[in-house]
Amino acid sequence: MTPEAADALKGAIALVGYGLAAVGPGIGIGIVVGNAIQAMARQPEMAGQSRTTMFLGIAFTEALALIGFVLFFIA
Amino acid sequence: MEQLILASGACDPAADIICKPENVNELFEFTHPLFSIGPFDFTRTVFLTFLAMVIVLAFLYFGLRKTRVVPSRFGVLVESAVGFVRDDIAKGVIGPEGGRYVPYLLAMFLFLLVANLFEVTPGINFPITSRMAIPVFLSLLTWVIFVVVGFFKNGFRYVLDIIWPKSVPIGLRWLVGIIELVSTFLLRPLTLAVRLFANMVAGHLMLTLLLVSGWVFMSSVGDIGARSIIGLPWFVFGLGIYLFEIVVAVLQAYIFTLLSAVYIQSSVHPEH
Amino acid sequence: MLQLLVPALVLAAEEAAEEPSGIDLLIPETSELIAGIIAFAIIFFVVWKWALPAINRTLEARQAAITGQVAEAEKTKAEAESLLEDYKQQLSEARSKADSIVDEAKATAEAVRGDIVAKAEAHAAEITQKARAEAQAEKARAAASIRDEISALSVEIAQKATAGAIDATAHRALVDQFLQELGEME
Repeated sequence: MTPEAADALKGAIALVGYGLAAVGPGIGIGIVVGNAIQAMARQPEMAGQSRTTMFLGIAFTEALALIGFVLFFIA
Repeated sequence: MEQLILASGACDPAADIICKPENVNELFEFTHPLFSIGPFDFTRTVFLTFLAMVIVLAFLYFGLRKTRVVPSRFGVLVESAVGFVRDDIAKGVIGPEGGRYVPYLLAMFLFLLVANLFEVTPGINFPITSRMAIPVFLSLLTWVIFVVVGFFKNGFRYVLDIIWPKSVPIGLRWLVGIIELVSTFLLRPLTLAVRLFANMVAGHLMLTLLLVSGWVFMSSVGDIGARSIIGLPWFVFGLGIYLFEIVVAVLQAYIFTLLSAVYIQSSVHPEH
Repeated sequence: MLQLLVPALVLAAEEAAEEPSGIDLLIPETSELIAGIIAFAIIFFVVWKWALPAINRTLEARQAAITGQVAEAEKTKAEAESLLEDYKQQLSEARSKADSIVDEAKATAEAVRGDIVAKAEAHAAEITQKARAEAQAEKARAAASIRDEISALSVEIAQKATAGAIDATAHRALVDQFLQELGEME
């Protein structure tokens, strides 16, 4: 294998790795937002707090995707 | 403008279907300083950093220069921004003690807001938060603040509570403790910085690639003829992303500030 | 300025000196870090020392203005209420005064009316009295004059009877004359 091909392969594998890392957080964010919308619909008077909590939940769930993102750059 | 040139330099509209630079770093790095003071290079990013500072100061100055009972329309905007950070973020998240952290959170929010909005400002089109410097600096500052506050408020018990959480069954305590330790002291600052950085990098990349591709294809209609229609979807998609990025820029400034407040809160009241 | 905003025209031709790597993006550049620290420090200092005190001053001024206005409004309201009370009192006083005046006037009018009626009645009685007396006097006078007349006539008749021959016709004529004269006298 030539060095160029090895480089290209490394990049492609990193890309796949990032894609895999993004799957879990994607599902997680979907669940967080869905439940937040349910909470807001059930208790509209608490919508502000639900929204803040939703953003926090998204932010924490996102962490794994962000680690994947960093690894993609490092690889 | 410079991104346009960078991206189109490596682009052949007759052969490719989208323009992309050889190396993505070229879209973010300005290696050509305008002048240098010793090791300090005054690049375009540095200039934009100071421009953001000037804009924030002007925003505050023109909104608050007079003590007025009935504020002007601009004054209402500034006051509502300050009130939002103070009441919703600082006092809403941290509690009554949050008043002490308002200057830090407000300065952070305004600076990040302007820095992020540079992404969609015509003529600038470059978010300085897509360079790692500002996110890293601010997230390390938040890290220092919440660690110092944690030790100051709780003494050594602060670390003990993290690595030996009483609310967890004893068999799992060591595992949760390790996860919490890594999460609190390593992942928090890392994800805080990378979240902002990654969002801005991704937004800037999307905007640059799509709008530049659209422009290059459609402007070279004389050379490639009907093939220039490829540029149209890129351009339309790029405009949609442009609107989306306005929301992202504001949201990321808000989330960065909100998470800083949450981390500080977890040190002020560690039992929660 | 233009050079600042559009600086990198030359960058396109510039070759990256070393092999570009993604991790370069994750390492903050020293100059940018210094610039960010300086810029943030200035913003923080201004927000801390000037902006927040300014906004607190504004809020305090607004609070004071609102409190002052509320106090003033309360004062005005109290004034208005006392004024209204005054007016009400004055009004009721005036009304009772008017009532008493009307009562008084009514009583006076009643008295005056009684007076007038009594006077008028007295007057009328007096007039009637006078008229009756006069009539009486007239009647008496008339009777007296008739008596005189009759006696004169009688005398006259007697004279005539004694003077001339008294026949029936002459007698009748005399009586007729007498009666006529009497009738004329009526």
